[in-house]
Amino acid sequence: MKISLLTTLIFAIMLIFSHSLMAQNQTPAPPQSEPIALVGATIHTVSGDVIENGTILFEYGKITAIGTNVDLPQGTRSEDVSGKYIYPGLIDAWSQMGIYEIGAVDMTTDINEQGTVNPNVMVERAFNPESRWIGVGRSAGVLTSITTPGGGLISGQSAAMMMDGWAWDEMTLKSGVGLIVNWPNTNNMRNYATQLQNLRDAFADARAYKTARRAMENGDAPHHDFDTRWNAMIPVFDGERPVVVSADEVRQIQDAITWSIEEGVELIILGGRDAHLVTDQLTEHNIPVIVTTVLTSPNRDWESYDARYSLPAKLHDAGVTFAIAGGPSAPYANRLPFEAGAAAAFGLSPEQALHSLTLAPAQILGIYDRVGSLEVGKDATLLITTGNPIEYATQIEQVYVQGRKSDMMDSHKYFYEKYREKVDQRATN
Amino acid sequence: MNRAFTVKLKLFLVGLLIAGIAAVSSPIAQAQTAPTDGMKVNTPAVHAFTNATIVTSPGQTISNGTLVIRDGVIEAVGRNVNVPADARVWDMEGKTLYPGFIDAHSDVGMKDPRVELDRGSLAWNPQLRAHLSAENEYDLEDDGSDALRAAGFTTALSVPPLGIFQGQAAVVNLGNGPVSDRVVRTGVAHGVRLMRSFEFGFTYPTSPIGAIALIRQTLYDADWYDRAHSAFSSNPSGLQRPESNAVLASLRDAVNGNQPLLFETGSDEEILRALRFKNEFSITPWILGSGHEYKVADYLSENPVPIILPLAFPDTPDIKTQEDALNEDLADLRHWYLAPENPARLDNAGLEFSFTTKGIDNKTDFLSNLRDAIHAGLNRNSALAALTTHPASLLGIESTHGSLEPGKAANFVVASGDLFEDQTRILDVWVDGNHFSINKEDAFNAKGEWQITSADGSFDGVLNITESRPGRLGGTVTIGDEEIDLASATVHQESRRVRAEFAGDQLDVHGKVRLTASISGDRLFGWAEMPGHARKQWSAERLSTTESDERESRERKLRDLNLVDLRPAMEYGRERIPEQPGAVLVQNATVWTMGPQGVLENADLLIRNGEVAEVGRNLSAPRNAVVIDAEGKHVTPGLIDAHIHSGVNGVNEIGNAITAEVRMGDVLDINNIWMYRQLAGGLTAAHVMHGSANPIGGQNVHIKMRWGALSHDLIIDDAPRTVKFALGENPKRVGSDRYPDTRMGVEQIIADRFSMARDYEARWNAWEQNQTGIPPRRDIRLDAVRDILNGDILVQSHSYRQDEILMLMRLAEDYDFRIKAFHHGVEAYKVAPELAEHGAGAVVWSDWGGFKIEAYDNTNYNARLLHEAGVVTSLHSDNSQIASRMNWEAAKMVRVGVDPETALSMVTSSTAKLLGIDHRVGSLEPGKDADFVIWNGDPLSTFTKAEQTWIDGRKYFDLEEHAELEQAIEEERAKLIQWIMEAEND
Repeated sequence: MKISLLTTLIFAIMLIFSHSLMAQNQTPAPPQSEPIALVGATIHTVSGDVIENGTILFEYGKITAIGTNVDLPQGTRSEDVSGKYIYPGLIDAWSQMGIYEIGAVDMTTDINEQGTVNPNVMVERAFNPESRWIGVGRSAGVLTSITTPGGGLISGQSAAMMMDGWAWDEMTLKSGVGLIVNWPNTNNMRNYATQLQNLRDAFADARAYKTARRAMENGDAPHHDFDTRWNAMIPVFDGERPVVVSADEVRQIQDAITWSIEEGVELIILGGRDAHLVTDQLTEHNIPVIVTTVLTSPNRDWESYDARYSLPAKLHDAGVTFAIAGGPSAPYANRLPFEAGAAAAFGLSPEQALHSLTLAPAQILGIYDRVGSLEVGKDATLLITTGNPIEYATQIEQVYVQGRKSDMMDSHKYFYEKYREKVDQRATN
Repeated sequence: MNRAFTVKLKLFLVGLLIAGIAAVSSPIAQAQTAPTDGMKVNTPAVHAFTNATIVTSPGQTISNGTLVIRDGVIEAVGRNVNVPADARVWDMEGKTLYPGFIDAHSDVGMKDPRVELDRGSLAWNPQLRAHLSAENEYDLEDDGSDALRAAGFTTALSVPPLGIFQGQAAVVNLGNGPVSDRVVRTGVAHGVRLMRSFEFGFTYPTSPIGAIALIRQTLYDADWYDRAHSAFSSNPSGLQRPESNAVLASLRDAVNGNQPLLFETGSDEEILRALRFKNEFSITPWILGSGHEYKVADYLSENPVPIILPLAFPDTPDIKTQEDALNEDLADLRHWYLAPENPARLDNAGLEFSFTTKGIDNKTDFLSNLRDAIHAGLNRNSALAALTTHPASLLGIESTHGSLEPGKAANFVVASGDLFEDQTRILDVWVDGNHFSINKEDAFNAKGEWQITSADGSFDGVLNITESRPGRLGGTVTIGDEEIDLASATVHQESRRVRAEFAGDQLDVHGKVRLTASISGDRLFGWAEMPGHARKQWSAERLSTTESDERESRERKLRDLNLVDLRPAMEYGRERIPEQPGAVLVQNATVWTMGPQGVLENADLLIRNGEVAEVGRNLSAPRNAVVIDAEGKHVTPGLIDAHIHSGVNGVNEIGNAITAEVRMGDVLDINNIWMYRQLAGGLTAAHVMHGSANPIGGQNVHIKMRWGALSHDLIIDDAPRTVKFALGENPKRVGSDRYPDTRMGVEQIIADRFSMARDYEARWNAWEQNQTGIPPRRDIRLDAVRDILNGDILVQSHSYRQDEILMLMRLAEDYDFRIKAFHHGVEAYKVAPELAEHGAGAVVWSDWGGFKIEAYDNTNYNARLLHEAGVVTSLHSDNSQIASRMNWEAAKMVRVGVDPETALSMVTSSTAKLLGIDHRVGSLEPGKDADFVIWNGDPLSTFTKAEQTWIDGRKYFDLEEHAELEQAIEEERAKLIQWIMEAEND
């Protein structure tokens, strides 16, 4: 009797303990320590042909072989995934992952810095690796987030973040991915003119700073004090960092293009609601568009109900380089696949839809050497699924982030399992 | 300054003011009871207007006629009328007389209304001002009558402007005497607005739903007030005295339909809202329109009501740049074009209406707008009738006003010609026999050549005065051989004076020469001021006269666009409701019946007369059936959204924590592009809900997406009544001083109202048995709460956290009823067993969360777990856009492990159950409504879209038809934009 009570007690304690281990937030996986081969799957490399019954081998986080006839090194942990599908991890090209936790609780968001000109702020340094939404997004196949600051005229620098790891430093795939500019809105033309002047002035001042510092460094001029903000813009002038301009309305898009040519900076349009009206200009200057929010309705009543769903197909047909992103909200990163899915229902091919979530954003944002497709030498950041990840019925069964086999638990599943337990307890009582 | 002196001073000032205004006319209509001060004025008030064209009433014109008025009343009018011997004669050669216009809805005398009422037995709500009367509130200072007179108006209905029950309107003549002389008829109608006045702060009712509920409650109260006072006065002993309430007392006749309620409307929907009161009350509504009446002309033809039409037209759409033009919707472009046609369209529909200047800031634009309406097809007689006979008869003054007939008030307009022609000007207006000059005709014409002679002959010559441009004089003076330009020339008609100046160089004087002269017939007598102050007298004799040019009439652009009537009057609107074929057979599809038949491959769906007749394989097509080959396609019941807020004007009544009396069905608005978009995504029905600002909110409404129908025809007629409750953050964060502030208070105020409703019901039950004493007052708020407790209104409660969900279930159980469903329910999964046990359903999001603290424990497995626990579970959008793709919301459930049929049930059959409309919709079973969607693939696939959406066996959306509409809209927009550009350039 006594023993039985003790056993029960120990069991109860273990139960509590196991629950606390099964934390709402996934536990980061250790770095890949042994070669891993996934064998027997249909592999969608995105960059090349679909490989039926293929094998993908990766070591130390990098893909070392893909094909139907892969030699496995000694010590390879081989995993039979026949009947499954392997895809590159999806890239959320516009996200607030890690800097947004609860919308209406100010202290949990770190998106908009004070003031209008903040080219120096770096989003990865405020990235919360404990955010619930990392696991939720990862379960939907989002393995790279372009975490992006907001607000003001020049918001700061975005960063490409990997969706597994203990802290922001090891999770950062690339910092300084883009300088984020919010193109002024055209509702009031006088205000628009003022704002455009402010933007031009900021770039002129930063350029003057670069000149002064270079002159100082070359010994051609006296000492010029360090300017944190303007210094952060030098990579933009050196062609090392694109300017990501949030622009939706046709004037905004066109004027941003004109401006980028005058400034000689590399431009990426973020938003692009009216981009289909100016495709010639976009292709002429080879300016890519990150289409944000496909799953929405047009702004103008007269536009067709599917105007936003069919925008990616229109851009594709016109030869514009584009990626698809959803809205930036971190809890909704798991909707990303369906944004591309809607485009596929309305004219885009399924392959193009997948491309717009993988290789396209990787190329546009300069991280294609690491992610975006399954190729030898790239990171082993991939999905094992039951089908196309943009299809609703598809299950994302396992993901690898840079060769780490991620914990597939997330807060959604955690709450389900916990309260499924309550249902079961009530049913047995 | 002592008080008596102040009063005297005020009287003096008022007297001075009146005297000043009256100076130009013969004041025959002094207040009849006032004593004479100073000299008695006995200027004759007999006038004969001869040689006139007299339009006595619309369509009745006397040419070369005479009008005689005596003491403010018409004595005679006709071709062969003798001029009385005592009359002052006015030669009206070339002029046209019209009956004075009547403005059927004005704010004359109401420019500076009293906002705060702080005396007397007022109603509880500041928006209730029915006891005010225009004649008692009338403020003479800057009353606006001069501006109306200038537009030809001699009479106006003055309507108190503030509040929901604004007060009683009075007809006044637009003369210049004291108010007592101007009032023609009082108590004409009660002004009613369907929206609160903002002057009284942000209190109940804050919304159109609340305003309509307040009107409803007030009408019930007025009825009760009358009965309560009768009961009390017949036998007061032992009875609590009913309250004294001036507002309710003043509404007695209105409640019985014996006094009109004049509703001020701002849209086509507001007209319908006003008229729908007739379903509930025996009122006599009048409508003040907004210019959108043509959109419901068919309805108004079938439901005739007196209409007062404004002639204020919308601003020109902003198409300055093509980017701006992109942002102009077809609805606005069309309305801009069609607004001037509004009167013509109503006239052609056989509707009678009166005009008002309301909405026109500068009243002198009225005539121009009227001429626009005539250019847009309005018959001239109809136009004149809308200004004269119709308003006279509407306002009950037809025996004295509205036409030029003997015995009627001497109210008329003197125009320079046909009023409906652009160059015609209003010259004079006569009100009660008092003369008001509007545009003076010139007393003399100085233009032409004059032979100048001077005493010393030093500037004998010819003065030629010409009109250099309209309204501007110039000319030359020729002295000797020199022709010198006049630097300026002016005439002053009242003093009969002419002035001119010119450079004196040709006269060998350096500097300006200035001429001034009096004009008498064909002679000028003047003197010249020479540089150096020499003065020379001169005179002149007319050699010739130059007549003024006719004023150019404004070019009006040919109205050559043919815009068909659309409902709603916007993009994708319909010309008519789609046909309902007698039979429709959809063949060879995968049919998701969502009923006992499950999912049938290669099956047929037979529809007869708008209902599902049969689902099965190899059904034969009835004769004349519309047959649709749906091979490879899927057919599902029409999707249903359990929670939307689109298509209504205002969602929350936040003026009270408990607002069960307000009804979303009152404020449906078909001018709502979302409905079309939702149809395009396969949505056929929705539960349009009140917002979440109140622990007990308003009553919701079930609609079908009958795009093209009038708002009240959207409603599912036999759906149960439902009410919105709201728990948690939203109801407690409204305002800073509104109870409740905590979840504790939310629970207690709901419980408190439940108790009140029980007591209320007990009082009524007692009254029903005894019928003695004072009848209880009907309280529509408590009516609703009582119906909730009795299960006649189903509770659909907004909720997030598990504690509040559990709380409301336990509270309902305490009062012995059940909650129908919890909406949002982000933590509903945490109390899934309790929900199942209570019998409550769950209406949740597929994947919302994280946007506030009470939504932080969200899981996409919510619906799955609820379903597994035996809770009837539905999805909802709470979002206009998501409502247009509910199949994809269901598809998200497949990703979290729900089987496809169950997933689809969450937007069809289970939704119908929780909304209480499963006897009609939600599944494809014989006898149910033929609401279905044809999809180009599996409805739960991301690669699928809706091709056709059918409601009641009518095809409301078709992908192919949509492409044609899209094209037609582009073309119509382009035409309108071009038309505007051309019109603006003219």
